[in-house]
Amino acid sequence: MRYTVRATEDRTIAMKFSFFHLMPYTHLDLQSHDWPFPNRDFDPAKASALYKTYVESMIHAEACGFDWVGCNEHHFSPYGMMANCNLIGGALVYPTKRVKIAMIGNLVPLNNPIRIAEEYAMLDCMSGGRLVAGLMRGIPHEYLAYNIPPGESWERQREAVQLILRCWTEPEPFGWEGKHFQYRQISIWPKPMQKPHPPLVISASNADSAKFAAEMRATMGMVLLADLPSGKENIRVYREAARENGWEPTAENVLVGMHTCIAETDDEARRWMAHGLKYFDQVLMGGLQASQRIVLQKTRYFESEESRDRWKSRLDKRRTLTLDEAIERGTVLCGSPETVVKQIKRIHGELGHGVFNFTVKVGTLPDEVIRRGMELFRDRVLPHVRDL
Amino acid sequence: MQPQAHKIPLSTGELTYFVAGEGRPLLYLHPAGGVRWTRVLEELAKSFALHVPVMPGFDGTRTHDTVKSMRGLAALAGEFMEKAIAGPCDVIGCSFGGYLAAWLAAERPELIDHLVLECPAGFRPKGRGERPADADALRKLLFLHPEKLPPESKPVEQEVGNRKMLPHYGATPDTDEELFARLPSIDKLTLILHGTADRMIPKESVQLLKSRLPHSYLVYVWDAAHAIEVDQPERMLAVLGSFLERSEGFMVNWGTLAVNPG
Repeated sequence: MRYTVRATEDRTIAMKFSFFHLMPYTHLDLQSHDWPFPNRDFDPAKASALYKTYVESMIHAEACGFDWVGCNEHHFSPYGMMANCNLIGGALVYPTKRVKIAMIGNLVPLNNPIRIAEEYAMLDCMSGGRLVAGLMRGIPHEYLAYNIPPGESWERQREAVQLILRCWTEPEPFGWEGKHFQYRQISIWPKPMQKPHPPLVISASNADSAKFAAEMRATMGMVLLADLPSGKENIRVYREAARENGWEPTAENVLVGMHTCIAETDDEARRWMAHGLKYFDQVLMGGLQASQRIVLQKTRYFESEESRDRWKSRLDKRRTLTLDEAIERGTVLCGSPETVVKQIKRIHGELGHGVFNFTVKVGTLPDEVIRRGMELFRDRVLPHVRDL
Repeated sequence: MQPQAHKIPLSTGELTYFVAGEGRPLLYLHPAGGVRWTRVLEELAKSFALHVPVMPGFDGTRTHDTVKSMRGLAALAGEFMEKAIAGPCDVIGCSFGGYLAAWLAAERPELIDHLVLECPAGFRPKGRGERPADADALRKLLFLHPEKLPPESKPVEQEVGNRKMLPHYGATPDTDEELFARLPSIDKLTLILHGTADRMIPKESVQLLKSRLPHSYLVYVWDAAHAIEVDQPERMLAVLGSFLERSEGFMVNWGTLAVNPG
């Protein structure tokens, strides 16, 4: 049975699937690097071809039945070539009709919050109200790149998110006299199409961020899980905090993201995933780990030691896991369509989430393999999991 | 700053008031809890001749028999300005004082230069905004950072006592429809301040006010509850000082963002 766009439009309560792209630079030798990642080997012609391939894949995701198409912001690294993911969002708006344009998202403490409010409002209007607005805090190394004190990360995040919401919802011009942001008068043009504002996604990989996401009535986003029990615990904290703030999240308010590879057979999928992960772990994560060590040791990027230790433990666990162990733990989706259906059902059974975010470009995982995987998802995975 | 207490005879009775500092006169109309000497007032007194009348019946003063409405109180404030200040000046009104300042601007516009409405009462959509049941509830609504209260502050219980004067003046807990209808006629340059954590005056109140006052600017003060002066004195002074000094020019950043200008 072919999965059609029409069928997706008719879905009201169902698992949503997000096609997420990191847009890595994939033409480097397999060697680790320190921070900052030298750009002497960057080839703009190769990057140009990569951007085209990546954007075309994202547009194609709509025809493959995905509900969201997403990307995010990173700096100073081949890990992700999107210093401003909103530019990619702009490229996705007109060739697509239905999918949500999920910017998950802009790094709020690092940027001018007014600019984020403006650009997101542009994307929402341009897409006819299809924006999902990610308001992220960013991973530690981004603070080195943009020269923002990591110890002010949480304060800036809390203040900036409130300011962005005011930018979208205030009926009259207003000023903001804050600790980190001061604007004497604000009146953004355009305002978002969705009222009162586009749906929010806030990263929630530890208890502090899960509580904040709940306080802001945002969808919680968890990626790179160490294991399912820790993800389950975050969801519990989020739901509890939401109730304290007077609302009850639905399944769709929980997004879980994982590296994903779907191929004709389990062996083929594992082979390609292993190939991509080697580049991801050895090259793309190299400089980031060095910088993260510096930030985590020397600053108060995390407000509590517990959150810092959990973050470090999560990364350590991920690094030491074999692919087989990761699949077994339910932190990676990898296999034939039939296997991936089972994996999705198992993870959903454990976590009860409503949005599954597939990180499809894992390191050097070939783009033609990803394309084939998208079609397998449409034809042999989605029909079995869409009504979870 | 040592505020000096004075008394002045007005047509309706004697009025107690304080004066602190020297310079351009500045009238401050106190909130329903009475006069609270905050860091903001102390700093203002370094640049202005700050005049703080105690409205009849507040802080242990006697009521005036014939003053029983907000309009009557505005007339009294106007007479005070004529006699004690002898001319127009900038006016700041906090909460109940903001409500009164708006009445003063409607009734006696010739007496006002800049108008500052600090989390003003009198414009709450019906049933909106929390109303304190007791001193403890009031304390929680007023202060997000009670630790910043000056140690010599009067007890909140005394402020609760002062608040009993509100019905005496017919101060509505919701929207004063008569005053609301007159807002478009107030052409004074007005700064409206509101704390982002103010649960007593909801943001809809100040949004409504902003939409009706033709020459007004609304500024939210981050991390402040109803008592902005206590919770965030530096932030309030930054906006207020600039507004009183530069009028519309308060919107301009007159400093530099250069960290090492050379």
